[in-house]
Amino acid sequence: MNYEIVCGIETHIELATKTKIFCGCTTEFGGEPNTHCCPVCTGQPGTLPILNQKVVEYAIKAGLALNCKINTKSHMDRKNYVYPDLPKAYQISQYDEPLCEKGYIELDSGKRIGITRIHIEEDAGKLVHENGYTYIDYNRGGVPLIEIVSEPDISSAEEAREYAEKLQLTMRYIGISDCKMQEGSMRCDVNLSLRKPGDPNFGVRTEIKNINSLSFIQKAVIAEAERQADILDAGGTVVQQTMRYDEATNSVTPMRDKENSDDYRYFPDPDILRFCIDEAKVEEIRASLPELPFAKLRRYVNDLGLPEATAKQISRYRKVAEFFEGALAEGASVKNAANLIVGTIFSNMDTEEEKELFAVRISAAQFAALVKLADEKKINIGVAQSTLQKMLESGKPVEEFIKPEDLVGISDEVLENLCREAIEANPRAVDDVRNGKDKAINVMFGYIMKKTGGKADIRKAEALLRKLIGP
Amino acid sequence: MAISKAEIEKLAKLAKLSFSDEELERFTAEFDEIIAFADTINQSIEGGTEQIRSVGARMVSFDDLRPDEVMPSLPNEKILSNVEGYNGFFSVERSKK
Ligand SMILES: [Zn+2]
Repeated sequence: MNYEIVCGIETHIELATKTKIFCGCTTEFGGEPNTHCCPVCTGQPGTLPILNQKVVEYAIKAGLALNCKINTKSHMDRKNYVYPDLPKAYQISQYDEPLCEKGYIELDSGKRIGITRIHIEEDAGKLVHENGYTYIDYNRGGVPLIEIVSEPDISSAEEAREYAEKLQLTMRYIGISDCKMQEGSMRCDVNLSLRKPGDPNFGVRTEIKNINSLSFIQKAVIAEAERQADILDAGGTVVQQTMRYDEATNSVTPMRDKENSDDYRYFPDPDILRFCIDEAKVEEIRASLPELPFAKLRRYVNDLGLPEATAKQISRYRKVAEFFEGALAEGASVKNAANLIVGTIFSNMDTEEEKELFAVRISAAQFAALVKLADEKKINIGVAQSTLQKMLESGKPVEEFIKPEDLVGISDEVLENLCREAIEANPRAVDDVRNGKDKAINVMFGYIMKKTGGKADIRKAEALLRKLIGP
Repeated sequence: MAISKAEIEKLAKLAKLSFSDEELERFTAEFDEIIAFADTINQSIEGGTEQIRSVGARMVSFDDLRPDEVMPSLPNEKILSNVEGYNGFFSVERSKK
């Protein structure tokens, strides 16, 4: 039988603040165990948590970038559960007054996936289980998180992946998190149920916890939908439970019984004052947001006339887009600048991370100086590419590699002599051209380019060669 | 009775604590008294405690929140001074359950 997938995703993202959410301890990754800790983040009695301003600012940024309404009044709640990764036996989170609500992410298809809410909370510590003991490191305890909860609007594995990918891209763009799924700074929980097409009621759902890559999200949705379909087809009922996705076997298996949410006994944290953010502050934060990747992509295609594929590659990484736009501001042409970035600069960068960091040794202005030489046809594209490569390796400007005398070009007289030489040296190719094998002319081009180090004007050379070879 | 023995049992379970039947009976009665006491406060305020939260409570503005500046953490020995530590970690023996 065919079923419809009903899926929502909860995403935890670690914010790139310097300090933890309620104390001044560093959020730096790693470090010896329990060295980034103080009485507050280890939950000692009598300590007072004080909310980090940057956490609120970053969460509002996330909300605005995801088209949310920002609640100008908000407070923190205690979510109670007993587990050694929480020293206080409760997590400070938000329950009924989250910072942001009612946003959406638009997929390429135009379909919108609703964002129910975004709230701020503290991360838990890390546990190591060994020899019958549990060892606890609270360095990560108290690191600020935002939890982004989607509506159950996702109806396929591809949509689930696209949603998470767009979310990751947006959060990186606005600079609030590096969203590295492998390192755990972005983690996704997938809720999924099936129903018969047209059925207004939801089926029983399961939750797959802590998925740590985009492709695993896609695979987990497929695996879990198949598992539930098999149960329903056999006349059984799906049990509401927490699941784990195992990448090695590409299967979904039960983890542990999930407590019902009312068992968390949420109540307002009496230690932390309710806080308000005035409209002016929200507008100030809105004004600080960069142009988002999807708006950029549309602008590159519609206004700059870039092909969709090239526009996507450049707009995907904020630093690359800034470099590209910087070069355009210096007068470089759209087409040559884009092609040199995607063709030459990216060929030095194998991983997504390198493109994300985009640590190039030349400035956008230095890059533009080179692009303009190609725009004005003072050098051909081949020379532009090889010169750019040298600039990237040395960090030196274009003048180091192309001297003014190189730019004069080859005089008509010299070019004509070279064409004659080329003809003399390649009698067979000349015959081929005369017999209609037009491609044989490339042999002569090769000769001329080699002799001039690629600096000859290829169109002029072609006209001369045709004149000299005759009909 | 504002609270039942079943509710006390559930709370104990959530807190991972176990009590004898006799203890549960006693706690139920004690909890009941505590809640009754808190209720007295609630009744003395017009509109109940919800009213305090929405109107009476002080609020802080964005500018009053803590600036994101790193402060020194405590030395590891100090953090672990009240507990059984192991190689810098807190350590607890896992229950067999
Ligand atoms: Zn701390």
